[in-house]
Amino acid sequence: MLRVTKLVAVAAAATFALAACGGGSSDGSSDAGDTGSAKSDVKVGLAYDVGGRGDQSFNDSAGVGLDKAKSEFGIDVKELEASANETDSAREERLRLLAQGGYNPVIAVGFAYATSLGKVAKEFPDVQFGIIDDSSLEKVSNVTSLVFAEEQGSFLVGAIAAEASKSGNVGFVGGVNTPLIQKFEAGFKQGAESVNKDIKVQVKYLTQPPDFAGFNAPDKGETTAQGMIDAGADVIYAAAGGSGSGVFKAIAAAGKGNWAIGVDSDQYLTADSAVKDYILTSMLKRVDTSVYDFIKSAVDGKVLTGKQEFDLSDEGIAYSTSNDAVKDYEAKADELKKQIISGDIKVSATP
Amino acid sequence: MSTTLETTTPPAAPAPERATRLSQPLRLALYALVALAVLSLIRVLTDANDLTSAGTVSAALTLAVPIGLAGLGGLWSERAGVVNIGLEGMMILGTFGAGWIGWQHGPWAGLLTAVLFGLIGGLVHAVATVTFGVDHVVSGVAINILGLGVTQYLAGELLADSPGGGETQSPPISALPRPSVPGLDGVLEPLEKHHWFLISDIAGILRGLLTNVSILTVLAVLLVIASYVILWQTPFGLRLRSVGEDPHAAESLGVKVRLYKYIAVAVSGGLAGLAGGFLAIVASGIYREGQTGGRGYIGLAAMIFGNWRPGGLMMGAGLFGYTDAMQLRNAVAVHALLLVVFALLLVVTALNLYRRKWVTAAVGLVFAVLSLVWYLNSDELPGPITTMTPYVTTLLVLALSAQRLRMPKADGLVYRPEGK
Repeated sequence: MLRVTKLVAVAAAATFALAACGGGSSDGSSDAGDTGSAKSDVKVGLAYDVGGRGDQSFNDSAGVGLDKAKSEFGIDVKELEASANETDSAREERLRLLAQGGYNPVIAVGFAYATSLGKVAKEFPDVQFGIIDDSSLEKVSNVTSLVFAEEQGSFLVGAIAAEASKSGNVGFVGGVNTPLIQKFEAGFKQGAESVNKDIKVQVKYLTQPPDFAGFNAPDKGETTAQGMIDAGADVIYAAAGGSGSGVFKAIAAAGKGNWAIGVDSDQYLTADSAVKDYILTSMLKRVDTSVYDFIKSAVDGKVLTGKQEFDLSDEGIAYSTSNDAVKDYEAKADELKKQIISGDIKVSATP
Repeated sequence: MSTTLETTTPPAAPAPERATRLSQPLRLALYALVALAVLSLIRVLTDANDLTSAGTVSAALTLAVPIGLAGLGGLWSERAGVVNIGLEGMMILGTFGAGWIGWQHGPWAGLLTAVLFGLIGGLVHAVATVTFGVDHVVSGVAINILGLGVTQYLAGELLADSPGGGETQSPPISALPRPSVPGLDGVLEPLEKHHWFLISDIAGILRGLLTNVSILTVLAVLLVIASYVILWQTPFGLRLRSVGEDPHAAESLGVKVRLYKYIAVAVSGGLAGLAGGFLAIVASGIYREGQTGGRGYIGLAAMIFGNWRPGGLMMGAGLFGYTDAMQLRNAVAVHALLLVVFALLLVVTALNLYRRKWVTAAVGLVFAVLSLVWYLNSDELPGPITTMTPYVTTLLVLALSAQRLRMPKADGLVYRPEGK
């Protein structure tokens, strides 16, 4: 058995190496897609953030976009996983591996790749890179920044939270105190205050960078949410990746009348059956759409460049309505959504 | 646990020579009462009711147990003379074992697997250090790397296709029972809500300790006591400790040194695995890659500051768990915690003055004054500072109070049997 797996591994490595050679000999830029055939010869490389496939959140969403593009265009894809507590050089190596392997475009999932991508992008000027959640590289011509207006979606769920709260006290649990997660906090606060001026918003970040464990610690999420509930909160927004499941547990333990709000993907659909009914809504960030759109543009031969922002107007940002309990608040939220799209309400991205 | 964590000397530390006539248990009880009164006073003064609420105490307990169990693992190993830096790796193995078996066959089976996986990690460490004489730190670091790598690989193979799981996490594990002492909740809860001086604090702490406690927490406390009894009250324990103090002397008296080292390191691994199992099953209800977050190292530190004694390490873990619970739960109470730190350091300083340790006393006093000034000049702690309170507080209090550390004499030395 062991020998067989070894053989398979060797074979796989050999194929990969051959594929790498093949890719290296072609000139990087792709001219496929004009024939409209189902099978495109674009090869897409995708590097996940910590958590990877199966996180039921951010990374899974990127994976969904990739899967959709794969089945639609028949493209060749290569996915690589990240590990917790890795260094920038490990990320560089991963991106380099994909670029060298002839994968073009290469998509980096998550802002953690920003520094390493800055280096690797220079080494491969013919490869188009995409990075999700970071716009610090928008000036680099072969990097496409795929970013979202999270503050807009957070504004809407903030308004829903304020409407649903009976105690006038809501909570925000952020995973790690980074500028990205602060956008969620800013939107949530403004949204809650737009409905109820005197609302109390408790804010807590689980860890401080460079400690990114806060995205991965359900126990800390639960303790924090428990503390907020004890201090009077009855609706809590979890923008904390994998720590969110702890927040849901605490809310479920507090019983009926308390609500949790999920993030990134529709967590009402993916959460454990014991807690799902407590998830009022989720702030949807369509990472899948951005990944799909980016790959599609590459397949079509007109690859997206520069900074591509997804927001409420193009449905890149939305809130979920799969839990029937949110019906009562939809009218208000949709009205606010219109005002944000038309520009009547300006949502600030910093708290 | 948190009634004793405010005391300032490890309970098992040797009593000051020219000191009290009170017996040790009585003295400890007195310390605890005084500490509680101070805590209560601060609570009343600052209105930060979360300082002694049942919620805080219960959260502190949950956060302290993995650290305490890891520390206990370190204690077993180091008492037999083997330094165990690999606790973190063994804990990681434990979390994975709990997640992998736990979601399929229930929490108890998961727990058993966690212990078993940790035990295997311990045995690898034992083979390397005892049989092959590898440097203990090198072997420990290797196990940390190995633990992470192996679980990542296995999770990719075994969890990737599980419903609701993935390469980095398991599906949810069902919970273990959380029993309460019957009838207590109804009596204590109203008492706590009145926020009376001392009485409400005691009610809150008791409620946190005695109601809705995970069965595994109870087991963990029993394990600490059992470790004390086994290591300090039985011939077996005496031999095990003698191996850590002077293996050659032990050998000349007929003790099978290598066997005892093997047993100690294996138990150490099993306890670290249990710590991982607690983290996955009780604290999180799920296995997630990287969820140990360095708790193995913190456990090791708690054990060292606890002077290689069960009581001391329990206090270290308790103090860390308490401050961590505080900062995670409530920013207002963390601000009040500055006052608690002030009081703690003041006590430590007084103790050091009494022991005529002028330099340590001066350092303690400086930090005490600093925290008081800080408290008076601020309304709230900034986020980054809040997050590091557990580390700073534990470090300060333990570093300034536990001055007479004495590790097992042959700890970390590679042992070679006579004639080889």
